Amino acid sequence: MGAGKASRPRFGIVPRFTGLAVPVGSVLFAFVAGGLIVLISGANPIDAYQGLLCGVGLLCAGGENPALEISNTIVFVTPLITAGVAVAIPFRAGLFNIGAEGQLLVGTVACLVVGLKLGSLPGILLVPLELIAGMAAGAAWAGIAGVLKATVGAHEVVTTIMLNYVAQYLVQYLIIGGPLQAPGAFSASSPISVNGRLPTFFPASNSLIVLGLPSSVYRVHTGLIIALVAAAVFAFLLWRTSLGYEIRAVGQSQKAARYAGVSVPRTIIVTMLIAGAFAGLAGAIQIAGVDKQLTDKYFNDTTGFDAIAVALLGLGSAVGIVLAAVLFGALHAGGAVMQSDAGLSSNLVLVLQALILFSIAGNFVGQISRLIPGLRPPPTLPSELPPAAPLMTEAAAPPPETA
Amino acid sequence: MSGLGDIGHLLLTANLWQLTLASAVLFLLPALGGVTSERSGVVNIAMEGMMLTGAFFAVVADLKLHNPWLSTLVAMLAGGLMALIHAVVSIRFRADQIVSGIAINIFAAGLTVFLANRIYGVPGVGHVGDSELLPNINIPVLDQIPFLGQVVFQQNVIVYVALIVLVLTQVVLFRTRLGLRIRAVGEHPQAADTAGINVFRLRYGSVLVSGLLSGLAGAYLAIGISNTFVPNITAGRGYIALAAMIFGKWTPYGAFVACLIFGLGFAIFANNSFIHISAYLLNMLPYIITLVVLAGVVGRSTPPAADGLPYVPGSE
Amino acid sequence: MGHMRLRVLGVVAAALMLAVACGGSTGGGNAKQIKVGLVTDTGGLNDKSFNHLAYVGLQSAISKLGVKGDVIESKTGDDYVPNLTNFAQKGYDLVIGNGFLMQPAIGTVAAQFPNIKFAIVDGAGTDAKFNDLKQTNVMDLFFKEQESGALVGAIAGLLEKQGKAPKNTHVISAVGGIKIPPVDHYLAGYQWAAKIYDPSIKVLIGYSNDFNATDKCKAVANSQIGQGSEFVFQVAGGCGVGALQAAGQAHVYSFGVDADQKDADPSVIASALKKVDVAVYDAIKSVVDGKFTGGANRFSLANDATGYQVDNFSLPADIKTEIDNLAAAMKSGSKTPPDVVS
Repeated sequence: MGAGKASRPRFGIVPRFTGLAVPVGSVLFAFVAGGLIVLISGANPIDAYQGLLCGVGLLCAGGENPALEISNTIVFVTPLITAGVAVAIPFRAGLFNIGAEGQLLVGTVACLVVGLKLGSLPGILLVPLELIAGMAAGAAWAGIAGVLKATVGAHEVVTTIMLNYVAQYLVQYLIIGGPLQAPGAFSASSPISVNGRLPTFFPASNSLIVLGLPSSVYRVHTGLIIALVAAAVFAFLLWRTSLGYEIRAVGQSQKAARYAGVSVPRTIIVTMLIAGAFAGLAGAIQIAGVDKQLTDKYFNDTTGFDAIAVALLGLGSAVGIVLAAVLFGALHAGGAVMQSDAGLSSNLVLVLQALILFSIAGNFVGQISRLIPGLRPPPTLPSELPPAAPLMTEAAAPPPETA
Repeated sequence: MSGLGDIGHLLLTANLWQLTLASAVLFLLPALGGVTSERSGVVNIAMEGMMLTGAFFAVVADLKLHNPWLSTLVAMLAGGLMALIHAVVSIRFRADQIVSGIAINIFAAGLTVFLANRIYGVPGVGHVGDSELLPNINIPVLDQIPFLGQVVFQQNVIVYVALIVLVLTQVVLFRTRLGLRIRAVGEHPQAADTAGINVFRLRYGSVLVSGLLSGLAGAYLAIGISNTFVPNITAGRGYIALAAMIFGKWTPYGAFVACLIFGLGFAIFANNSFIHISAYLLNMLPYIITLVVLAGVVGRSTPPAADGLPYVPGSE
Repeated sequence: MGHMRLRVLGVVAAALMLAVACGGSTGGGNAKQIKVGLVTDTGGLNDKSFNHLAYVGLQSAISKLGVKGDVIESKTGDDYVPNLTNFAQKGYDLVIGNGFLMQPAIGTVAAQFPNIKFAIVDGAGTDAKFNDLKQTNVMDLFFKEQESGALVGAIAGLLEKQGKAPKNTHVISAVGGIKIPPVDHYLAGYQWAAKIYDPSIKVLIGYSNDFNATDKCKAVANSQIGQGSEFVFQVAGGCGVGALQAAGQAHVYSFGVDADQKDADPSVIASALKKVDVAVYDAIKSVVDGKFTGGANRFSLANDATGYQVDNFSLPADIKTEIDNLAAAMKSGSKTPPDVVS
């Protein structure tokens, strides 16, 4: 990595490794700093990290089943991938989409409504319809912010935050005594029928024992595949289509893009629509694959916010987002283990997340490596980063076209 | 619609507006902090985290010291420390300021609950006794004015402080040399630097002020209105303050108007015992109002010219 | 240089793994010791009422029955299933879910682990539509909160009728958390009893939509006090402490919920009791004694699990007699409070 071709380090290692140095170094920094915080607070960092590692099935000391932990992790990872994309795309256009959570929520509602109303259709039709409904709802929700930005210049940070709240209260309204509340239930909707569900990898049977536990506890579902495909679509869109070019152009410099003939307002709107679609897809996958109904769980869902960290850590690339999603999904699952085994609040995971973000944003890896004698001088952040695309340093530059 | 009629009746009561002002202050203080910070050119969306930190340490301090005033000071310092992190990362390390702000918010959310668990264990954070809370003070004579007396002069002490800070901020920013310099640094840092103004010092200072004010708001929330700390006690108020700031076009008085609108929305919701509209729909009010106003009335919101750009001496 | 960095990373990573592998605590426990896991709902243990009481029950069992007990607080509804599964797959002898909203989660996990015993406060193991699955490994702990609500409602009604209230406005109120059955049971009883003793009374009911943040309940309570309420009944867990605070600051009276909340605020003159600690303790004891049976267990005045407690106040003797008569009537069934808010 380097600030420009001239300062590209002149060693022979495949650039891919150096591209990893910032994210990996940031994670390392976070774990060290986080460990210090745990130590200062009087607890044992080893216990904490042992619990967290259990999220990927390693070193589970409290009697947890590693396979179950891995399954839980994957369940958390799946929506993070598409939600991460929902944040990463607007980044490329110089927009900050804090609204992924709200877009996800309306996606869940749309998916549920379709699943309930058209519940008699065969699964092969119903599931895609649910997903499309989720995408459409999410796109519309984000589109509001996009249109406001493109027409009156309303700051998207503000509008998307407002829309998040509206979406959250909308969900509450719908299922607490509202039109979607299942009869006899409270703060929960009816579940969608079996044919509206995304199949799980393991049969949902309580009697089939797999690796010591009934197979129904493994909630890993085919939504994972959809999410991975979505990530690939994102990469293709961004790097291989003219729309993707326009998005990136607007992100680099609105002025230059305009001179190149790109319609900035149109690009902004389209970008938000696409981003919303990805976020809505995440919501739809959650309903069809995991929850099958809207419950009070969605009153304080944080996927859309975790996705911001995922997009940043993933440096906006599809592979990076998937890897970052795995990390945060593992932390989420491991956090619960840590809490039950080590008695430490799972909120430590948030502390780690934040430290990672600080490190990336402030290029701590670069600063620290500058202090280590013998290491090659690290890349500096270009000083005239346009405020539009501040996160995308050359380190985050796309992998060579072969990727 | 009887629901609207209910709201209409409500709007005529002093109680409602009293609650509106009290709630508005929770948005106002961080919004004023945001205005200060951004006027100097540092984007600050970390008010939520700084306020949360302030709230937590206010309770911790009060449970230990049994003194709301000292505890408020502690809260402000805690907010200030968070702000300092944001300042260092944004100014010294030239990080993207939005990312840094979000990171602060996540950091605060995690750290407060983590520390609460470490310090208080499973039973949770305790409750502060009534006598150790920031007191409500009725201003004599003025509070007897019909309607207005109850609304403005029968409030918590921090409300009065906030109103004073409001006027101070507006005056300092727009009528003093210091304010001029802050704004210069936010619009044309290079020119200001050439003119001998210390860009970095003013920016650090402004960000620090935003931390102090947000911390104060946290103290008001935790030991003025409530009497304990619960996870996410701020419930997004810092972000709403951000909206208020933009809505008010980065001016204190403008932000205040927005804060009143949000406070009103919350006050209407709190009266859901009397309104025949779903409480959940009422919850949405302030946010929808903001969207509508942003769309129609406010128009293009232009931040200070160098807002968000790390200042690199000699780069322009 | 890249080699070097990589090597450094590798060494650090290895060291970390080594440290983690060699460190770490072992799980505790005597093989014969009964292990009980408690999963709270999202209200957290700091609520001074519901979850707190369940925890008290667990602590009581730990000290009196010698069981091993662990608690996990659920942060979001997302955590119910993983938290319950956590205890179940570790082979805990009893897994307790605390809260009405956990019913489907209990239903799911209990079905997956038919050999593990479960108990749930305020519900049963249900399917996604909240239909009782009647699982034999699940003990349902139901309370007749309406009885406790009625008893405090009667106190308010009688005080108003006899002109012994702070301002005799004949307005009382209640702040509910979320409109779920346990909350509404309390409210229904409260309304019903108050009207029996003071037919002209007006009962205001509002919801905070929150079981946590005290400022919301305080605001709702204040709005009710502003409309004349002089008895504020909080049915909102941790949030509700704010309602009690509001009453105190306005110099009116309040009623606590679930636990005896006399220390929560000086304005609390009585608390509507729901002895969750007793229910939890009993459930654990049944496992220890080998007498666990699945199915519904009803806790009410009949087994002294609901009731009221006077706090910070001296109740006139004739009112106390009336209240005790009402309690006897409810216990015998001659008077039945509704469980739906009118």
